[in-house]
Amino acid sequence: MWHDPHPNPPPQAGVGAHLFDGRHRASSHLAAAIAILLWLSSASAAFAAGPRIVSMNVCSDQLVLSLADPDQILGLSRFSRDAWQSWAAEKARNFPRLSGGAEDVLLLKPDIVVVSLFDKRATRDLLKANGLHLVEFTVPRTLDEVRDQIRAMGDVVRHPERAQAEITRLDAAIARARAVASAHHYRVLPLERRGFVSGDNSLINSLLAATGLTNAAGELGLGTGGFASLEAIVKLRPDFILVSEAGDRAEDEGRAFLLHPALERFYPEARRIVLPERLTVCGGVMLADALDRLTEELQRVTR
Amino acid sequence: MSVQDFALAAEVAARRRWSATAALLALVVLLVVLSLGIGPVRLSPLAVIEAMFGGGSDVAQVIVREIRLPRTILAFAIGGILGLSGAALQGLLRNPLASPSLFGAPQSAAFGAVLVIALGLADVRSYALPVVAIIAAFGSVFALLAIAGRNAGLLILILAGLAISSFAGAATALVMNLSSNPFVVLEIAFWLLGSLEDRSFQHVALALPFIIAGAAVLLSQASAFRALTLGEEAAQSLGVDVGRLRLYVITGVALGVGGAVAVTGTIGFIGLVAPHLMRPVIGHDPARLLVPSALTGSALLLAADIAVRIIPSTSDIKVGVLTSIIGVPFFLYLIMRERRALGGGVA
Repeated sequence: MWHDPHPNPPPQAGVGAHLFDGRHRASSHLAAAIAILLWLSSASAAFAAGPRIVSMNVCSDQLVLSLADPDQILGLSRFSRDAWQSWAAEKARNFPRLSGGAEDVLLLKPDIVVVSLFDKRATRDLLKANGLHLVEFTVPRTLDEVRDQIRAMGDVVRHPERAQAEITRLDAAIARARAVASAHHYRVLPLERRGFVSGDNSLINSLLAATGLTNAAGELGLGTGGFASLEAIVKLRPDFILVSEAGDRAEDEGRAFLLHPALERFYPEARRIVLPERLTVCGGVMLADALDRLTEELQRVTR
Repeated sequence: MSVQDFALAAEVAARRRWSATAALLALVVLLVVLSLGIGPVRLSPLAVIEAMFGGGSDVAQVIVREIRLPRTILAFAIGGILGLSGAALQGLLRNPLASPSLFGAPQSAAFGAVLVIALGLADVRSYALPVVAIIAAFGSVFALLAIAGRNAGLLILILAGLAISSFAGAATALVMNLSSNPFVVLEIAFWLLGSLEDRSFQHVALALPFIIAGAAVLLSQASAFRALTLGEEAAQSLGVDVGRLRLYVITGVALGVGGAVAVTGTIGFIGLVAPHLMRPVIGHDPARLLVPSALTGSALLLAADIAVRIIPSTSDIKVGVLTSIIGVPFFLYLIMRERRALGGGVA
């Protein structure tokens, strides 16, 4: 979900509540949508060719890159070219990379600055104080929120038809993954470095749910996410573990957890679903690719 | 005291040493068994024994043999080498406050390991890690003894040790900032706390050869430590090459501490505490103190590692934190006891 900033920005303490309160979210959403529409219509004369945009977050970078025209993009976030975090890193090389501070943004004088509510508060406040128009996105936790964000960004860059096409693509990918997965009710444990398991309130959980897979976190007593012990995982024996990296290199002890011989014994490569971090760390149009990869991986591990 | 009385007293003392050592050994065995039996998954003692010898379910086997056994072996070996290193350093310097962690050896070894991790130079399960950690530990102990000189007082040793630990800490922070691994800050923070969790036999294979080599070097110098209690000149007249002894001790400590730190991070204060616990029982002969100190170190680390698994907490407590929480007050107590010597050092 996203917030269009009011001239007097709403207190940000409310943001956490929005995430969990569906009704409140829907109403604030509507209000935000109306606000941005009003604002866009009033300002439309200023940018007939579509607003010129700066994105300050690696997740919004990817939305902007897939929905806006190239000449609309004035600058992307500091991490936009990081292939580990960004699915669109290659494409991002064609655009200027920002420092992450306020200075170069002020200099660019964009019509809209897209930021995440998790970005530095001080920078955001400084930009607002200097009269820039900020559109703030949160981190989506469900596929519905992802669809909302795609739609919202489509409105921001004034290409709603592209947003709709991306949503259609996402829905098609969900359907393809479902067709492969839903018959079997596999229990999958999404496992990250040091044994972190994503729970209910995570994007990865909604991906699994949409596909008809069961997140085994609940069985470990980690419904809301948390660290699982190696022993407990070995005892539970979910059908597959979902990891973000294949290969055998442990660059640190956190990664060495996933390569522990006890885990490798029950989960060799043939029982590991690999979804690269860049496909799942943000909720955006790349989720269609994530789901297609999930489909391929399921076909591989169940073959 | 007649000759007979003296012989009798010696015999009593010897018997006490042997029974103390045997009791320690029994304690270590008990702790090893406990360590194999305790973990997040509850297994009955019978299931543990079965799994240990290749029976029972394959899940229980994996839990006991591949998750708990390597951890237990590491706790035993690393606690042992830390206790032994402390006893050896205290013997070499004839100084009860000497210990690897006060001299910055683990901190320096950690810097070496962090250098490898943070710069992504090698897999954390490769020999590059212990080798670099050992080199760093050697450098730090060597530097400390070179700076402090031969007959350094407590104060100089501790100040120099403090300086070296701080330097190693700063260098570690600097390396962290230069890293491209996005998780490095968290990883290194955990590393510096010291933990035995989820270690595997790969880690055992990494650390154990160096720990055994270090222990062998230190134990081989036992008689030299005894001669040294008579003073450096007397020892030299007894045929002890004090310069070479120093080099041996530095090498032994560096091998042991470096190998240990490379797989567990920094675990402090066991080397300081263990010899002190044994001195009232064993006596002040540094040669006889070596093995009991090593066993005490093993028992301490095994117990601490069992404690972190039992103490209820939302996220796991790091064993290095526990040893420091217990070790630092002990160190302060020692300083209080040695106040007079320290005061003399200032004057």
